[in-house]
Amino acid sequence: MKLAYQSLLAGVALTVSSLALAAGELNLYNWGNYTSPKLIEKFEAETGIKVTITDYDSNETALAKVRAGGHGFDLAVPSHSHLPIWMSEGLIANARVDQMPNFKNVAKEWRNPDWDPGRQYSAPWQWGSVGVMVDTSVYNGDINTFGIILDPPEELIGKINVAPEMNDVISSALLYLGGEACSGDKELLRKVRDKLVEAKPKWKSMDYGVIEKFAGRDLAASLYWNGAAFRARLKNPDVRYGYPVEGYSLWADAVVLLKDAKNVEEAKTFMNFIMAPENAGLMSEFARYANSIVGSEAFMPEDMATAPEVVVPEEFIGAGKFYPTCSPEVQKMYTAIWTELQK
Amino acid sequence: MILRRRSFVIKRMPGFTLLALACFFALYMPLAPLVVYSFNEGNNIALWEGFSLRWYQAAWENQLVQSAAIRSIVVATIASIIATVLATMVALATTRTRPYRGQTIIYAMVNQPLVVPEIVTAVALLILFALIKQATNYHGYAYLVIAHSAFCIPFAYLPIRARLEGMDRVLETAAADLYATPWRAFKRVTLPLMLPGIFAGAMLAFVISLDDVVITEFVKSAGQDTLPTYMLGQLRRSITPEINAISTVLLGISVLMVTLIFFLSRKKTA
Repeated sequence: MKLAYQSLLAGVALTVSSLALAAGELNLYNWGNYTSPKLIEKFEAETGIKVTITDYDSNETALAKVRAGGHGFDLAVPSHSHLPIWMSEGLIANARVDQMPNFKNVAKEWRNPDWDPGRQYSAPWQWGSVGVMVDTSVYNGDINTFGIILDPPEELIGKINVAPEMNDVISSALLYLGGEACSGDKELLRKVRDKLVEAKPKWKSMDYGVIEKFAGRDLAASLYWNGAAFRARLKNPDVRYGYPVEGYSLWADAVVLLKDAKNVEEAKTFMNFIMAPENAGLMSEFARYANSIVGSEAFMPEDMATAPEVVVPEEFIGAGKFYPTCSPEVQKMYTAIWTELQK
Repeated sequence: MILRRRSFVIKRMPGFTLLALACFFALYMPLAPLVVYSFNEGNNIALWEGFSLRWYQAAWENQLVQSAAIRSIVVATIASIIATVLATMVALATTRTRPYRGQTIIYAMVNQPLVVPEIVTAVALLILFALIKQATNYHGYAYLVIAHSAFCIPFAYLPIRARLEGMDRVLETAAADLYATPWRAFKRVTLPLMLPGIFAGAMLAFVISLDDVVITEFVKSAGQDTLPTYMLGQLRRSITPEINAISTVLLGISVLMVTLIFFLSRKKTA
């Protein structure tokens, strides 16, 4: 009874506080479990702005809610693949991120991404890549190729996993066969299909949750994301992450100011805030993905600042590329290949 | 319950035990690892590292979980009260009157949330509430409460209606014969008798509201994550047994409520 009373009181308090749209508030709409609580505490202490975080679980949900309007959010964090849609639908306001004081900290390769030319709209949040994880105690040859998955060496056969993500798998195969992701070249896509179908019997699984399987040495290779590769290495020191030299795809999430934001100044303050090295370091410390801010390594935990999964080695930077969402026609062919692969 | 009294006993049908066991197995097996790994010592939801309650403690101390849980309970409490009051009125209007035109339609309309896919309701509410939010600039909890109340009504309605239909009309008729006004007869006779049904309905509505994901995800405004939507948000990154611990607690609450409902509705035949 007492608990119920307290909860009711808390509920009333919540309702009242959400009614009073006082100055100094900020509503951030972000992926769940992605915002560092320490970062928010620091921001609130430094600026006096109270931050409310609301979670979403997919780009589609976020887009649907923001598109409908009346959402009450100021900032959102879409992925690069969806950002052009947000822009073309006029959901984003131009915050002139490139003129913010802390923009000077943004690494030069992140200042002019294809999906936000000139970087006026979006402040960098975190990013990662699609590559290969290999247990080097099983195979110690060259791991910087998708050949690990598609033309696997003898030692790895039957110990390979592939992330069940259509776009990542097919785009990686396209890159491996000398094409570009989202290519509409039917001849090439046919080769991709044959390659994948031929390789599949050599795989063990197409699944998520690989970290524990590498830890238990059930798997020896996987097409996967860098963040998980990093966490797997902390559990099994033989795990290495390969950056395929034939090309690999990158993803990035970026903070954008919504057109119908109520707290525009507060939102811009936040965008500037996260581009400071010490704050970007906090972000990465929590979510364990790389950020795009020069000097943030100094504020990351030791194991992260030196991790080759997080800090891309110089020689592999050039091979990584961003790919937009494929056109509907290509998407259809992808789906056809994917269906065949699932059989 | 009727079956038990008749001579046809389903329990004696060939293969009954086996089939029943298979059904229970399919229903409850997937939950077993979830519960087991909530007690895992390690960070992992698939690698057992010994027994510990650390994830329960972690969830209990997690501020985000706390505020989401309180929000869930507040919304579920208010929504289930509203839904139960409305459901009681509808149940009376569809059982304690002379049959009238459109009665079946009312019945069907009240039960609409059971039939319409949840995502359809969610998208419809998203669009409607977005318009209202833009027009009024109000972003409070009313939207969640209204949405939850609406889809909880049939869940509250069904047990109440079942109770009313199972009740002997004689007592109510007797009250009327003894010159009780309709209101007095309702207050002194009908209401006390239907109370177990009302409680069962309210608890079912509470559980349904507590567990809802899809509609909540689409209707919630800033800072209105409930426990289930909070959990959904965790899925993109690697999951820790904390989620198992929260799920186990939610599961426990649901099981407890359903058990209570069972005992409440059993009383009526005793």
